[in-house]
Amino acid sequence: MKNNIEIINNDNLNESIYKKVLENGLEVYICVKKGFTKKIGMFGTKYGSINNDFVDSSTGERINVPDGVAHFLEHKLFEQEGANALDLFSKEGISSNAYTSFDQTVYYFETIDKFKIGLEMLIKLVKTPYFTEENVQKEQGIIGQEISMYDDDPNFNVYFNTLRAMYIKHPIRIDIAGTIDSISKIDKEILYKCYNTFYNSNNMFIVIVGDVDVENTIDIINENIKLYENVNNKDKVIKFGVDEPKNILQKRIEKDMGLYMPQVSIGYKLEPAQKNDRIKIEIIADIVSDMYFSKSSNFFEIEYNKGAANDTIDFSYEGNKDFAHIIISTTSINVNEIEKDIFEYIEKIKSEEIDTELFENTKRRKIGENMVASENLNSSYRRIIDSILNENTIYYDIEVLSNIRIEDIKDFLKTLELSKSVISIVK
Amino acid sequence: MEKIYKVNDSKFKSIYLSYNFTFETNKEDIPKNVITSLILSKGSKKYKTSKEIEKYLSSLYGTNFDINMEKIGDLYNIEFRLECVNKKFLPNNEDVFKNAINFLSEIIYNPKIENNEFDKIIFEREKSFIIDKINKKKDEKLRYAVLKTEEILCEKEPFGIYIYGDIKDAENVKISDIYDAYQNIINNSNISIIVSGNLSGYEDIDQYLKEIFINRFNNDNEIDKTLINKSVKRKFCVEDVKEIKEKIQTNQAVITIGLRVEDLEQNDFYALNVYNSILGGTPSSKLFQNVREKESLAYTTKSRYYRFKGIFIIYAGIEESNYERAKKVILDQISDMENGNISELELNSSKQSLVNDLLEWNDSKISLAKLAYTNAINNEKITIDELITNMKAVEIEDVVRVAKKVKLQLIYMLGGEDNEK
Repeated sequence: MKNNIEIINNDNLNESIYKKVLENGLEVYICVKKGFTKKIGMFGTKYGSINNDFVDSSTGERINVPDGVAHFLEHKLFEQEGANALDLFSKEGISSNAYTSFDQTVYYFETIDKFKIGLEMLIKLVKTPYFTEENVQKEQGIIGQEISMYDDDPNFNVYFNTLRAMYIKHPIRIDIAGTIDSISKIDKEILYKCYNTFYNSNNMFIVIVGDVDVENTIDIINENIKLYENVNNKDKVIKFGVDEPKNILQKRIEKDMGLYMPQVSIGYKLEPAQKNDRIKIEIIADIVSDMYFSKSSNFFEIEYNKGAANDTIDFSYEGNKDFAHIIISTTSINVNEIEKDIFEYIEKIKSEEIDTELFENTKRRKIGENMVASENLNSSYRRIIDSILNENTIYYDIEVLSNIRIEDIKDFLKTLELSKSVISIVK
Repeated sequence: MEKIYKVNDSKFKSIYLSYNFTFETNKEDIPKNVITSLILSKGSKKYKTSKEIEKYLSSLYGTNFDINMEKIGDLYNIEFRLECVNKKFLPNNEDVFKNAINFLSEIIYNPKIENNEFDKIIFEREKSFIIDKINKKKDEKLRYAVLKTEEILCEKEPFGIYIYGDIKDAENVKISDIYDAYQNIINNSNISIIVSGNLSGYEDIDQYLKEIFINRFNNDNEIDKTLINKSVKRKFCVEDVKEIKEKIQTNQAVITIGLRVEDLEQNDFYALNVYNSILGGTPSSKLFQNVREKESLAYTTKSRYYRFKGIFIIYAGIEESNYERAKKVILDQISDMENGNISELELNSSKQSLVNDLLEWNDSKISLAKLAYTNAINNEKITIDELITNMKAVEIEDVVRVAKKVKLQLIYMLGGEDNEK
C-alpha cells in the first residue's frame, strides 16, 4: 500500500487496522470492518481533566488552570461562529457528540452515508475554536446543570469518593466537569491557552471505524487538516504529573443521599504498570472478576442467598501510566456486612489454591466474549484509543489471553494490600 | 400463526435467540409473573442453582443468558435471551448453540417443582429481590421522574404500573401463586421465538427448535391487538391538565410533561416519530435548541415517544427556581408543533436522523430481532426498507395533522430542595 501505511491484521476478529502518522504528527488509525453499515469518525486530543498543570505553549510559562477546563472546552468547541456544531451535524442527519475523561477529550460522529461530509465537519469543528465572553457565560449555566445532575447520581458519588479516599495529590480525585465554583473562574483566555497548548496536531489522533476506503479516507484527512493549520507548533506538549504517594489518604468516606439501596465501593490502590503489562493486568483482573465475583462464583452465591448482594458485584481495574487501582462495587441493603465479607474474602483467596477447571472455563468465556464484542464497532475504537494513550501494542489484549497462567492470577491477587484499601459508601 | 422468525446475516459471528411470552396482565399479576420468571432463571431440575447455570454457560464459550421484562403497551412480555458464538468461529467447531437451546428448554420447561410447588427458599429470596427493586426506583432521580410521569399519565391502565409491579402487590405474593402464574405464562401466552445473527450452518434451526420445544408452542393463543396502541382510541385523554409537584431532596429538579395522542391510527406511526424527532429527539430539535442552547436552562432535555402506548414524555433537568420559565419554554415548543411552525430543514434533518437509526439496526442482531418481534405481535412483515420509505414520505402537513391530536395531560416536577445550600 502506498503512503507508508502500516497494516495490522487480526484474522480472529476479522478486521484490519491501518495506521499512518501525518507530517504534522497527527496519528491516524483506520479500522476496516467489512459489511457494517455504520461508520464512526473520532478526533481526539491526549488532554483530559487531570492535565491542569502544564506549560502554556504561547508564553512558555508553567500554569495551573481551574478544575473542569478540559470538559468546558469540549462543550465550547461545538460552538461555531453563528451556529452550534451539534446542530449542524444533526441537520445533515449525522449524529455527533464528545466526551472528556481523565486523560483524553474525543469528538466523534456516526453516519451511514455521509462519511466524507461528517469527517470534513469533524475536522473543522475541532480546528476552529470560537470562544466569546458571552458564549462562555451561557455554557456555565448548561454545565452547571450537568454538574447538578452528577451530584444527584449515587453511582457517580460512590465512585468519585473512592478515588478521593485513595489518592492524596493526583488530579484523578477532581470531578471531570469541575464544580460550580471552579467553572465560574473559566474565561475565554483560559480556554484559548488550553486549546492552543493541547489541540495541537502532534498531541492528537484521528480514529475511523467502519467499512471505508483507507486511502481515500487518508486523503480527505490530509486535505482538510491543511485548511486549518492555525495552531501547529511542533513542540511537544509539556504536562506535569504529581508524585503520588503509595499510601491512601483516608480509609472511609460515607455520604448520605437518602437512598433505599445503599451503594458500596472498595478501592485497592496499586502500583501503576506500563504499556503491555497494564493490558495484561487488566485482563487478569477481568478473569479474577469472573472467577471470584461473578454469578458463577461461590462468593456471589453465598452473598446473594443471605440477601447481602443483589444484581452483581463488579470488580475492575483502572489505570494508566501514573495511577492504578481496583474497584469492587455493589449495592446492598446491608453494606457493612458485605464490606466485611469482601475484605475477608480477598485475604482468603490470596492464600488459597486456584481451581484449575474454573480458571480454564473462565478463559473459554473470555474467548467467546471477545468474539461477540468484535461485532460492535465500539470495541474496535476503544482498543485503538487505549493503545494510543498508553503506548501498548494493538491486539495485545487478544494475544495475551491465551498466555495467562494460574501463577499470574496468584501474583496479581498478592498486590491487593489491605493497608492500601479504602471504602466509599453512599446511602 | 408463525412462531419462529429467523434473521440471517453473515457479518455477525454470533447468534441471538429470544423466546417471548406475551400476554395480557393486570396490576396484581405483574409481580407474580416477574417473581416466577426470576425463579425460572435461577435454577431448574438439571441446573440446580444460579451458580451451576453460570458455570455451564461459561463452558459454552461464555454464552449469555438472561431474562427481560417489557411492557408492550398494555401487554406484558417476558423474554428469555441467549447469545452465543456460531460454531464456525470456535475451536473444533464446537456446537454451543444447540447446547444453549437445550439448556433454555430445561430452564423454561423443567423447573424445580415438587407437588405443584416451587422451592420455598428460592421463592423468598427472589420475592425480596423484587421488593428491593421496586423500593429503589426512587434512587435515580431523572429515571424516577419519568417513571412517575408514566404512572400518573396512565393511572388506570396496565401500562401505568411499574415494570416489577406495585410494592403492596409484591409483598402479597404467596408461594402458591407462583405455580399458577407459571402455568398461566407457559400455557396462555402468545409465544414467539426470534433467532438472529450468523445462521450459517443453522439454516434448518427451526426444525431443531420444533423438535426441542415440541408441543410447547403449538397453542393458538392470539394476543388482543387492541391492547397495543389502539387502546388510546377509547378516549383516555383528560380535559383538565394536571400539575403536580413532588418534593424530594436533590440538587437538581426534574420537570416532565406528559402528552397523549387522541384517536391514534396505525398509520400515524411515521408522522408521530417525525414529530418526536423535531420536538425533542435530536440536538437540532426545538427542545434542545431552546431549553438548552438559547435559554441555558438545562443540560438534559428530551422527548420520548412510546410507540405501543401513544404517549409522549418530555423531561429536563433544571434548577428549581427556573420551573416556570422552563415550563413556558417547553409548552411554547409544543404549540409551535401544533401551529405548524416547522421548517423544511427541521423536517428533513429529523427524517434523516430517523432513517439513519433504522439503517443502523442492520448492524445489530438485537435490533433486528426486536423488529422481528414487533412484526410478530403486530402480525406484519415490515422490512427496514419499507419503514424507511414510509418515514421519508412524511411531510410537514402530516406532522401538523398528528400534532393536533397530541393533547397536553400532565406537568410534573420532582425535587430541588437542596438548592439553597
